[in-house]
Amino acid sequence: MKNLGLLIVVLVGAVLIYATTDFPPFGDPESPASLHVSPRYLENSLEETAVPNVVTSVLVDYRGLDTMFETTVVFAAGVACFLLLRVPRRRTPAPRQYRHRLTGLTFRIKDGGEISLPLQEFEPMESIWTPHDFIIEKVCCYLIPFIQLFGLFVIAHGHHSPGGGFQGGVILGASIILLSLSHDLRTALKRMGEKTSALFSTFGVLIYAGTGALCLLLGYNFLDYQALDPLLPGGPVMARYHGILLVEVGVGMAVMGTMIWIFRNLASRGRHEEGL
Amino acid sequence: MSQYYPALLIAIPLLAALFISASGWLRPALCFPLALTALGGSLLVSLGLLSNVIRGIPDVYLFGGWPPPWGIYYRVDHLSALVLAVVSIVGFVNLIAARPAVEKEFPEKAAPFYTLYVLFVTGLLGMVITGDAFNLYVLLEIAAITGYALIALGKGRAPLSSLHYIFMGTIGACFYLLGVGYLYIITGSLNMEDIARLLPPLYESKVVTVAFVILMVGIWLKMGFFPLHAWLPNAYTHAPSPVSSLVAPLMTKVMVYVMIRMVLTVFTVDYAFLVLKLNDAVVWLAVIAIVAGSLLALAEKDVKRMLTFIVVAEVGYMVGGFWLGNRAGFIGAVLHLVNDALMTLCLFLAVGNIVYAKGNSQWDSLPGLFRTMPWTMGALVVGALSIIGVPPTCGFFSKWYLLLGAIQGGHYGFLAALLFSSLVSVVLFFRIFEISYFEPFGASHGPDHGEDGPAGREAPLGMLVPLWMTALGLVLLGLYTGEIVDRVIRHAVPGMML
Repeated sequence: MKNLGLLIVVLVGAVLIYATTDFPPFGDPESPASLHVSPRYLENSLEETAVPNVVTSVLVDYRGLDTMFETTVVFAAGVACFLLLRVPRRRTPAPRQYRHRLTGLTFRIKDGGEISLPLQEFEPMESIWTPHDFIIEKVCCYLIPFIQLFGLFVIAHGHHSPGGGFQGGVILGASIILLSLSHDLRTALKRMGEKTSALFSTFGVLIYAGTGALCLLLGYNFLDYQALDPLLPGGPVMARYHGILLVEVGVGMAVMGTMIWIFRNLASRGRHEEGL
Repeated sequence: MSQYYPALLIAIPLLAALFISASGWLRPALCFPLALTALGGSLLVSLGLLSNVIRGIPDVYLFGGWPPPWGIYYRVDHLSALVLAVVSIVGFVNLIAARPAVEKEFPEKAAPFYTLYVLFVTGLLGMVITGDAFNLYVLLEIAAITGYALIALGKGRAPLSSLHYIFMGTIGACFYLLGVGYLYIITGSLNMEDIARLLPPLYESKVVTVAFVILMVGIWLKMGFFPLHAWLPNAYTHAPSPVSSLVAPLMTKVMVYVMIRMVLTVFTVDYAFLVLKLNDAVVWLAVIAIVAGSLLALAEKDVKRMLTFIVVAEVGYMVGGFWLGNRAGFIGAVLHLVNDALMTLCLFLAVGNIVYAKGNSQWDSLPGLFRTMPWTMGALVVGALSIIGVPPTCGFFSKWYLLLGAIQGGHYGFLAALLFSSLVSVVLFFRIFEISYFEPFGASHGPDHGEDGPAGREAPLGMLVPLWMTALGLVLLGLYTGEIVDRVIRHAVPGMML
């Protein structure tokens, strides 16, 4: 069976390589791919959309529908992980451990037990508890704001340099994931709850699809950002520019929310209590 | 208003899916009404599109206002309008039937379930309506990811079956993408009609041949065409019942549509049938699919699992009918696509009711069902008659066209396979009827339990109404076959096949 699989893989690979002999030469400026649709993108992008980064204008404007659905794919993946992994909260909590903030004493609460002292004085602990590493914690504390700032820059500057919603969203999401790795899941959850990350994911896609629908309501075609002209300054071409920015912000929110959401469900096996 | 239909068709369910997801966190009671409104809305829009097409109003929609091939556009013709109507009807009817099962099996996960459900339907609708080869891939991804997640929600071995499906499905989607990539490198375009315009001088190129083959293999993998069907029975059996009755009727049918669309619009009939001359070989593959699917179905002792093998055989019907390459075969294939979506829906809904009442659909739980669940079993009978092909149910008419196509094309192997599979279906379903009607149901529980009849009650009204709507739909479709063929399918037949 294994050999049969190998044989099939080799055969398919051979067929695919065989077809490449008829490909246009590598880097050929005369190849159909660089002669047919690309010239218009390259020559007119700036005057039609006011976006100097052609990748962004193709991705979000000329072929904006694809990107909207790609964002939806990211969102769907987040919902899928939530649907399959998330364990609904149990009525009676399992045995758990707390640390008294002032004295550093640790308590183990039995199945269904309660603490009679005020809860603010206690801090819940992971059952597989590792002592916090001071250096890692502090370094990450100082690093995370800058990472997030850079993420925002990447989103906002996608019109002019490599970047945009997907990349910036990933950086923003990674900053929160770094927080849960350097501290623990609960610290990160306190900063940004499960509901928040899920709603970020949802509303990010909603901004994208909603912008499209808004264009429809204003009497233009779906995702024709030109329709936003009356709402935004700078004339119809700048409306496209701003529309793209709006949509990129949506993509960034969706990607960030989904990354965090998926990470938590995977890392804690859907329990959101402990993990890592 | 009607010029916005193609955008609304996609925008309504997409926005609704997002609202459902948000309301799951803010106001959970709204999830189901939102889903129902959204699919109801897209059902109305798709019917509007169909009536536009019949009246001859063209429906082309440019997204972002960019003309093709630079932008993406949606184009509705007779074929896609018909399939759109089928997809949205199945999605809507099944949603009504899904509610009791969702509330019984996973009430706390209703919000993500409905979100993914609506997204799945959105993906399929988009695949049918789009005029762009790459856009189709993105929508295929949406339908696939949501489908995997919904299937994995089942009990027992469902996650494993879904994982298997993910592996196979991803390979299929990759092949499709690779095929589109090959086409792009040789033509420089992603728009279907634009590719078709640029291809004829390149027919001799090896790239086009390999692109065609790899596209077809990818699509066949996704539709479960016989040697590539291995993921299908497990995935559809272990999925929760509201999911199997959604995915089983739609996914395979939409992939058949994609195959037809690729051949018709992208590669053109001339290329597929005259240049490559693959048609005879593919029809023989279909013959094998039909025979193997029917035989494998015979071996099963679980109604739901048996149905999944019938799905495999039915895929063979449609692929074979289309590749016969004549008018009757084409009409038969498209008509069967429509009919089979509803027949499969009817049967899977009936099995869903049995699972709802009995916990499973093994043969052991069948005895006495005609007495305890007369309405469910009545609809099952209608669906079964349609699969077998008894007039006036719709299954008869599409099979008639397929047989006619086989005779006209002189392909007697396909003819024999069709007849054989119909006979096997008779055996399959009458065995079920026999067990559930005649087999004593009290005896196995000992004398104490035999007196007051078998346990179990009829499924709730919320599941029976959609089931009977579908069952009556089967008969109505049969009675209106002439209309459908005359007004819609006839116009979709490519010129060469006349």
